[in-house]
Amino acid sequence: MIIALVGNPNSGKSSLFNKLTGLRQKTGNFPGVTVEKKSGKLLLPDGKATTLIDFPGTYSLYPTSSDERIVLNVLTNPSEKNYPDVVVYVADVTNLEKHLLLLTQVRDLGFPCLLALNMSDLANRKGISVNEKKIAEFLEMPVVMVSGRTGDNIDLLKSAISNLLKKNTNGKNSFYAFNDIEKEATHKVDDLFKSNNSYRSKLIAHHFEKLPFLTEEERKSVAIICQESGFDNLALQINETMRRFDKFVPVLNSAITKEGEKKALTDRLDAILTHRIFAPLIFFVIMFFVFQAIYAWASYPMDWIEEGFMFLGNFVKNTLPESWFTDLLTDGVLAGLGGILVFIPQIAILFFLISILEEVGYMARAVYIFDKLMQQFGLNGRSVVALVSGGACAIPAIMSTRTIGNWKERLITIMVTPLISCSARIPVYAVLIGFVVPSVTVWGFFNLQGLAFMGLYLLGIGAAFVSAWVFKLILKSDEKSFLMLQLPSYRWPVWRNVWQNIFEKVSVFVIEAGKVIMVISIVLWVLATYGPKEAMQKAELEATQIAQQTSLDEVATADLIAAKKIEASFAGHIGKAIEPAITPLGFDWKIGIALLTSFAAREVFVGTMATIYSIGSTKDEQTIHDKLAAARNPTTGAKVYTAATSLSLLIFYVFAMQCMSTLAVVKRETGSWKWAFLQFAYMSILAYLGSLITFQCFS
Amino acid sequence: MNSPLSNIEVGSSGIIVQFMDNIIAGKLMTMGVLPGSKVRVVRKAPFKGGLYLKIDGSNMVLREKEAETIILSMID
Repeated sequence: MIIALVGNPNSGKSSLFNKLTGLRQKTGNFPGVTVEKKSGKLLLPDGKATTLIDFPGTYSLYPTSSDERIVLNVLTNPSEKNYPDVVVYVADVTNLEKHLLLLTQVRDLGFPCLLALNMSDLANRKGISVNEKKIAEFLEMPVVMVSGRTGDNIDLLKSAISNLLKKNTNGKNSFYAFNDIEKEATHKVDDLFKSNNSYRSKLIAHHFEKLPFLTEEERKSVAIICQESGFDNLALQINETMRRFDKFVPVLNSAITKEGEKKALTDRLDAILTHRIFAPLIFFVIMFFVFQAIYAWASYPMDWIEEGFMFLGNFVKNTLPESWFTDLLTDGVLAGLGGILVFIPQIAILFFLISILEEVGYMARAVYIFDKLMQQFGLNGRSVVALVSGGACAIPAIMSTRTIGNWKERLITIMVTPLISCSARIPVYAVLIGFVVPSVTVWGFFNLQGLAFMGLYLLGIGAAFVSAWVFKLILKSDEKSFLMLQLPSYRWPVWRNVWQNIFEKVSVFVIEAGKVIMVISIVLWVLATYGPKEAMQKAELEATQIAQQTSLDEVATADLIAAKKIEASFAGHIGKAIEPAITPLGFDWKIGIALLTSFAAREVFVGTMATIYSIGSTKDEQTIHDKLAAARNPTTGAKVYTAATSLSLLIFYVFAMQCMSTLAVVKRETGSWKWAFLQFAYMSILAYLGSLITFQCFS
Repeated sequence: MNSPLSNIEVGSSGIIVQFMDNIIAGKLMTMGVLPGSKVRVVRKAPFKGGLYLKIDGSNMVLREKEAETIILSMID
């Protein structure tokens, strides 16, 4: 049994979904598209176990974004596996006259429906009283007052659902009477599909071009029918919408009484939070605190994870016999796994704060505040959410662009989001900034290194906007772009929703990034461990001799052997092969290897450098920093890590697309490798040129 | 007196009498913004951006371009 949860955006549908399913939910995709599908087990009072699917919020069955389109696609296709048996329609009772259009459409499709009047707690507080019986009679369906926030009447809702499943009936009266054109066209479509629901036929006539379940032949036939009967899409859509409202608005007016509303808290808050001058300032202050919080809070759990994995690695090394398998396990698998998990604290904290901002209703204001600015760069106000999320990880950020209806705006957002410095760049910045910027305090309390950090972030943000502007000029599209946004009232966050959201975002990161990072970690381990046999043996022999001559201790000897071996390995060969290409940037073959290994995840840079400089046994950033500072070019004797090289390397990491996981997600979200490849290409060129100019200017 | 929504000053109200663009109309109507809806301009966005509106008691934002296509009959 499948139960669909359908409703408008801001109807509190997700709160209700979380309340109904608790932790028994999972996230997947609707077939064939990348729209997220949240489903969960719903246990009914009569013991029946059912599946509840949370459909994306939409205002009607005339969709404008891919998120909204999925509702139409599933509800008009009885052979789709998510096709529901019954529909639970969620509406905001404080705003009911705006929330019923879609319900009348869904019921006309023939689904047994139930209306959940959500936010009953707010209705009480606002002095709104509802005659449920009157509404139920008019809609010919059960009506239940609930609150997904407080959990009021959830049990009542569950028993209403099980009654609905037992009776399985739908109302008789249609909410919309067809005119002659619609009658003629739907008759023919009815015949074509042997369908007995003429509203479904009307929707097919409207949307046949984009409905995925129609065959090419069916599309042609429907096109001919529409042409013959003069089926004017837009006019008929508007006519239908008007008629439906005309039908239910008078009923609602007589069934709902509102006491005189006092000036709401929302209006008072918005006078400041959307103020034309204060609004952007407040936004930047909030963002400043958000990112401060990440650094302040995330470092402890990150240290625990790193130490935990080091302990685990040593434990495995000491327990298992020395063999290639043990090495693979510790240096390939465990290192890869650690590299994934170490980002969880930062990602979780950022999404914790973003979820709160979303829950209280602030994000919708941010969309409004920045819409105009974003449009100048070919983006949409809704891009703000993705760009901010990009500060944690580009993967969930790119997935959040699905709410942007306009394809060009969405694509540009996807293309530029990875330029926002994500959490993987932080360790690299931390090591390298030490070479360029002294740790001194300026203007009383600003740490100069901290300011340099901020500078790198701003550089990334600036590059994102410039690139967006270039894409805006290049890409052509006549598709209309909209803002049209309803601003929800401010409200206290529902913590259950916040935890749920963090859990989802972290899972997406672990699964999407995890599988790629894992594979690449292992490949890189192979490249760095194996090499031409003779060269490897020679390297080991040489290292042992040097160690004996200079009487190194055991740990230092092992580190030296590791360093010589990686030089002789395949990775070393590749590093040397690309050296001519990166010399103009101020990089040597050792940095070349690190750039290469950064494709798994950027922070691998630090570990690789540690191995190359034969301090593989330490993970301490200060030690690595000291070692790099002492490194000299063997032929000229000049310092390798001059300010110019370090700066050039920093610039490279700001711009370069060094994340295979992101490329994989871009491919999935845009549906083709073309955009992923283009993204890789333009960011690499940007990184190369940026580094080249930096190095040549400063050296 | 009729006037496009985009020309109306902050603080003034009107009733929607007509939509000039069918695509925008189609979308707005599904959100419950219909001929006969009462609209008040609450404020205009930073960066010369969109309009913050009160439409039949709920808060909504529209771009200037979108507002140009909505014709209001002014209320004094």
